[in-house]
Amino acid sequence: MLSYLIWRLAGSLVTLVGVSILIFGIARIVPGDPARLALGPAATAAQVDEYRERLGLDQPLPLQYFDYVSGLVHGDMGISLYTNRPVASDIIQGLPATLELVSASAIIMLIFGIAIGVFSARYRNRLPDHIARVFSLLGIVTPAFVWAIFLMLIFSDRLGWFPISGRLSEGVAAPPTMTGFYLIDSLLNGQFATFMDALVHLALPAIALSLPGLGQAARLTRVNIVEAYDQPYAEMARAYGLSSRKIAFKYTLRPALIPTLTVLGMDIASKLGNAFLVEAVFVWPGVANYGVQTILQKDLNGIIGTVLVISAFFLLINLAVDICVSLLDPRVHLRGA
Amino acid sequence: MKIEPAEKSVLNGKVSGGSVDAARSRRRRFVRLAQSAVIALIAFGASNTAFIDPLLAQTTIRLNENAPGDTDPARSTRAIGSILFYNIYDTLLLPGEGGQGAQPHLAESYTIDGDAYTFKLRQGVKFVSGNELTAEDVVFSLERLIAIGAGPAPLFKGWVKSAEAVDKYTVRITTTAPYAPFLAATFRLGIVEKAVVLANLGKGDFGEMKDYGQAYLVMNSAGTGAYKIVSHAPQTQTVLEKNPDYFLPIPADAPDRVVLSYGVEQATQVALMRRGELDIMSQWASPETKRTTLGIEGVSILGEAGLTALQIKLNTTRAPLDDVHCRRALALGLDYETLASLANISDDAKGARVTNGPLLNGMLGYDANIPVYKRDMDAAKAELAQCKYKAGDHEMEIVWLAEVPLEERFALLMQQNWGELGFNTKINRVPVSLYYQSVANKDTSPHVSQIFPSALSPDPDSYLSSVYGTDVRGQPYAAEWLSDEKVDELLAKGRETIDPDKRAPIYSELAARLRELQPSIWAYEAVTTYPKSAKVSVPLLEEPGRNLRVAGMNMMFRMMKAAPAAK
Repeated sequence: MLSYLIWRLAGSLVTLVGVSILIFGIARIVPGDPARLALGPAATAAQVDEYRERLGLDQPLPLQYFDYVSGLVHGDMGISLYTNRPVASDIIQGLPATLELVSASAIIMLIFGIAIGVFSARYRNRLPDHIARVFSLLGIVTPAFVWAIFLMLIFSDRLGWFPISGRLSEGVAAPPTMTGFYLIDSLLNGQFATFMDALVHLALPAIALSLPGLGQAARLTRVNIVEAYDQPYAEMARAYGLSSRKIAFKYTLRPALIPTLTVLGMDIASKLGNAFLVEAVFVWPGVANYGVQTILQKDLNGIIGTVLVISAFFLLINLAVDICVSLLDPRVHLRGA
Repeated sequence: MKIEPAEKSVLNGKVSGGSVDAARSRRRRFVRLAQSAVIALIAFGASNTAFIDPLLAQTTIRLNENAPGDTDPARSTRAIGSILFYNIYDTLLLPGEGGQGAQPHLAESYTIDGDAYTFKLRQGVKFVSGNELTAEDVVFSLERLIAIGAGPAPLFKGWVKSAEAVDKYTVRITTTAPYAPFLAATFRLGIVEKAVVLANLGKGDFGEMKDYGQAYLVMNSAGTGAYKIVSHAPQTQTVLEKNPDYFLPIPADAPDRVVLSYGVEQATQVALMRRGELDIMSQWASPETKRTTLGIEGVSILGEAGLTALQIKLNTTRAPLDDVHCRRALALGLDYETLASLANISDDAKGARVTNGPLLNGMLGYDANIPVYKRDMDAAKAELAQCKYKAGDHEMEIVWLAEVPLEERFALLMQQNWGELGFNTKINRVPVSLYYQSVANKDTSPHVSQIFPSALSPDPDSYLSSVYGTDVRGQPYAAEWLSDEKVDELLAKGRETIDPDKRAPIYSELAARLRELQPSIWAYEAVTTYPKSAKVSVPLLEEPGRNLRVAGMNMMFRMMKAAPAAK
């Protein structure tokens, strides 16, 4: 396992280098002058030229890339033209909030999605299954930001049950940073009131972000379990008179989860980039919106920094999925090169 | 394999076993537990204001704007940057009420001797660090602004010959030539504390000045302002609180705290206003969203005029718009009233008012006696008859900026109006980044495009020279590619003439010349609108004649009044 992890991490580094070259090139080819966008429309042409020179944008592309990578190995992702401060600071400031949101939504998605899938398969082609399928389909076809607005209008605006904005209520101090996740940090510091406040703030955005994936999880789980029910080992279990619950959870769920997890892993990773509209609706101080703005403002360093972080997240999730699959299926062995 | 006793029929799901009751009981317990958790969560959510009491003693106002919150005074020209600027920094002078002239602020007096401007500073003004403001800080701030070259730098770069600290409280700035807009330009010169900046230099390209403290000032304040930064996340939120050591008295009813949030979705802003958690909505919300807020008790619309106008830019180098008669035909064929009505929120809350030319209402040289533009199809046809092109000879491209959805409606109206004259047009949606690139070349600059150029200062030179001077052709505000000797001459003359009484006729003449050339269609003067709650009042915008006519300046929180929280 250890050699496998080292091998995968080394492979991930190569992938990240490839991604950085690709994004570095694309960001510079896309039309639009980053220097002009940074200085604004009132700046004179001479000022823009001078600024472009100062940014090194007049240098050959390989040299610009070399400079960037030289900084990167020292932990310097460059200055954001959009916020005019280090990209690393921009990302670090918002990343924990987005990761907490994505993690919470992933947990909701996995728990409820798989449970609904199992339930649906258990009662396949009967009323509970039909209801679950409609719900799943609704989840899939409705974008997360629509769910976000819907939930916000119903449960926050109309009913007033949940707060609308931010991670904590005004006047509630953030817990001392240990992980950057308020739920965990507040518990680790014994701040139960802060934990509850963070939880009610997190609930709606996490549910909104989870619903499309939850529908996907439910459908995939259902299909794979139904398929597994038809396998000879399931037939045999039934012939032995095992309980339906035991068959579902012990014999069919495990094999059914393998393809489901593979797909859902990518779904979870993509939430990091897709969370920006949910963040905008719930005034969530995350990093997803920053990623979008860097592209719109042609903030070269910001684009590369954000894409590298998202890519790293994808690779980590992919690795986690592979490990989970090896745990679920004993026939799969993780070996290094 | 161990065989479990049969409990259920696998295929039909029917229950038939002795441990059924236990299973049911477990299930009920689980459901009850889950119900309790949800009820507790909801109850807590509904009453989670229980421990925010410490802040209720303060008056807080909450605003929304577009990200990012710029706090460096050398860069702050965007809307939110300007608001932050005028609250955490101060300038030597401020415009007089109504935006006319200049009044002392950090400088208690000033004298003009030829090209030399001498400012006498107030004594005892403290930075947020507690150190006293001196002439060295003013000189440093000006040098820093010019070196960085962003934001308001065009107002000074090339015009400042020298800046020196004559003594601890006296600054002399000499311009390279007579430069009438200089006093108004100082409204954009925020004074930073030299010692703090020098102590916080980061990696950069300015020689011994490294980054000139840019990385530090993006996150921290080094000013004398009425408010200081409590927390700042440029993409999401800035919290400010009153500076108790401010050099001017701050009225007790000015807000103690200000929370500025960035980039909040419009539906959320409406919901927050309804709950009393947002006091001033973003100016960038659509007219429809703003109209929605009028249904909320106590909400009214603030209007801020005198900052910008919708200019429909006509590329004077591309056929058929290289013929002035065709340009005039377009101007006369446009339905101004309908166009302006698209920006209105209600009959009482106008987002636009039809104008009469290139100068904004109240600007030096503006002549209120000139009638506003209105559609005149007969005159348009007469102009078209004199044009060397036939209306349908060339397809014209009408561009609207993807970031400003309202412009699409304007583009459709233009297409319809000008179609009645026989013009053949196509509409293109273009992001700002591409637009800036396309206008840099006269052959790719669109036939027709729309932009709201904003003046860096209330001086007419700041507003007109970045659009109509030959030397600025191809810059984002100058998509017209106008080159006219008379215009250049009048712009130069207006800049060199120091006496306001002599300057006014120059700008009147310039406006007349531009109306004659018609490089743009001055569609309407924009009134920036902000829905606001009854809890806040903004006297600078609510009381007639007090508008300071500089972006962000009317949002000086020390001039606002905030009622205590009603919770």
